[in-house]
Amino acid sequence: MIELRKLGKRFGERWALQEFDLDVPRGEIFGLLGHNGAGKSTAIGMMLGQVWPTTGAARICGHEITTHRREALARVGAIFETPVFYDYLTGWKNLAVLSSYSAPTSAKRIAEVVEWVGLTSRADSKVSTYSHGMRTRLALAQALLPNPELLILDEPSDGLDPEGIHEMRLTILRLREELGLTILLSSHLLNEVEQLCTRIAVLNQGRKVFEGSLATARKTRSEVRLKTANFGEAANLLRREQLIADARDGAFVSPADGVGTDRIVKRLVEAGMPVFEIVQEEQTLEGFYLSLMQESRAAAAGPPPLKAGAEGATP
Amino acid sequence: MTMFFLHLRNELWKLFGKKRTYIGFGVFLVAQNLMLLAFRYSKWQAGTAKLLESNGYVGAEFISALTVALIMLLPQVALLMPLYVMLVGGDLMAKEAEDGSLRMILARPISRLRLLFTKWLTGVIFAALLVGSLGAMALVFARMWFPWGGMFVFVPLPGGTPIFNVMPAGDGLAYYALAHVFLAVNTCTMLSLAFMFSCFNMKPAAATILAMSALFLSVVMEGLPFFEDWKEFALTHHFRTWVLVFGKPIQAAQMAQSLCVLAGVNVTAFVIGAVHFHQRDIKS
Repeated sequence: MIELRKLGKRFGERWALQEFDLDVPRGEIFGLLGHNGAGKSTAIGMMLGQVWPTTGAARICGHEITTHRREALARVGAIFETPVFYDYLTGWKNLAVLSSYSAPTSAKRIAEVVEWVGLTSRADSKVSTYSHGMRTRLALAQALLPNPELLILDEPSDGLDPEGIHEMRLTILRLREELGLTILLSSHLLNEVEQLCTRIAVLNQGRKVFEGSLATARKTRSEVRLKTANFGEAANLLRREQLIADARDGAFVSPADGVGTDRIVKRLVEAGMPVFEIVQEEQTLEGFYLSLMQESRAAAAGPPPLKAGAEGATP
Repeated sequence: MTMFFLHLRNELWKLFGKKRTYIGFGVFLVAQNLMLLAFRYSKWQAGTAKLLESNGYVGAEFISALTVALIMLLPQVALLMPLYVMLVGGDLMAKEAEDGSLRMILARPISRLRLLFTKWLTGVIFAALLVGSLGAMALVFARMWFPWGGMFVFVPLPGGTPIFNVMPAGDGLAYYALAHVFLAVNTCTMLSLAFMFSCFNMKPAAATILAMSALFLSVVMEGLPFFEDWKEFALTHHFRTWVLVFGKPIQAAQMAQSLCVLAGVNVTAFVIGAVHFHQRDIKS
């Protein structure tokens, strides 16, 4: 549904996004993560033909967005953070106005969508009287009007209270289950992404630093909690035999590439060290995200400067 | 085509759903009635009768609703009309961008050019309606205070021969209506100017102020003897077409020339605005 190839955008001297490749297949809830200014909104802007790419190309629903905008966006709905409407018009009139930018939309279709989002009783009220949650539902309604195949949600839970966030989460799941939509979700709420998405991409300072399934993200840099009679001795043995890459806090070890917990247990038992407990610790998305950001920043900063007196340092 | 008219209808809904759209109509209503009070109870009538009689006409025949309506229009067209038309013109695109609704619109499969054209056309309809209402209100209110009769026209033109004419009521009404067609062209041009600035990345107020500044610059150019040879380049010089309608004989060639210039300004302003808007990145 979404294919981005080497997509880049430069504002003046600053690259907001560079060499961004992305594939979002049909039927997936895909999460786009990144800090403020990482390039998420710029990427979404380019997907919707609102921002002109400096490099690369974006294909939406099989059509090049810059040259075939009409075809590309015909079955696409979008919601942006802090939904804005014409406050002096009713919810219904807002939907009628917005639908006129897509294709002829019958009153029946508007009624269906209004009912789906649960706004029927307030559809004839002016939007100025709506709460933030109701505006978000109206935003969802306008996104659903063109009967979309793809829904792009840019921070949809922004400004909602915990109950509203929960409701939005359930709604997103309903969208996929009941309407079979493909959803691109850009969010700061890692918990939300963790509960909804099957795959994620992480942006840092305009560059993609990770793309993969949520399961892969959780397993990346996975650790094992090890309970033994003498953790220090066990860790030294495993390190000497290159079965682990790291050990910390007197309880956690990071197995070396390709090493399973079975080999660790076998070697410890062979060495006469009792193993009371060994558990694969899954990293949370938050932990994964934070370590990814730290790595990216460290890589961008380059190697730390050598201290005076250290080997190789010049006076 | 159906989609275009549906889109146009909804743009009109949006424009006429806003209270600020009606500010111009309301101010004209108040201003006209205040001016009528002044005409009715001041020495204006005696002064006008004296002017007419010194030219060999019977004053009472021409101090009429048509004469008063036209005199009322002059300051309103010069001072209030540009303000209200440019206020709406400056809002057309810039307000949508400022509020954030433009992002929602441009997430839809509509071309930027069609969006702009429909918006501009909506503005043109507003400008024409404002002119029509202004003329109709002036005539109706003037008729409530003054009798129906012949029309007397005296309009001094900066750097030109004043327009002086008298005509029977029937002809006066026809010319009065025709003048509003030319007045509508003027207001469309003012609107196009503000619309052009509105397509750039700026606040609605900035677009209105820039358009007003361009108009003031034109007024200054037209008024200064230093720019006498350049007055054809002053936009306001071509806005006088609507009063030339009342001239005797009608200066058709000059009016046609001015109309062509104004049409050119409209097209140029739209094209500049559209080209810039097409290249713009729409971000929150």
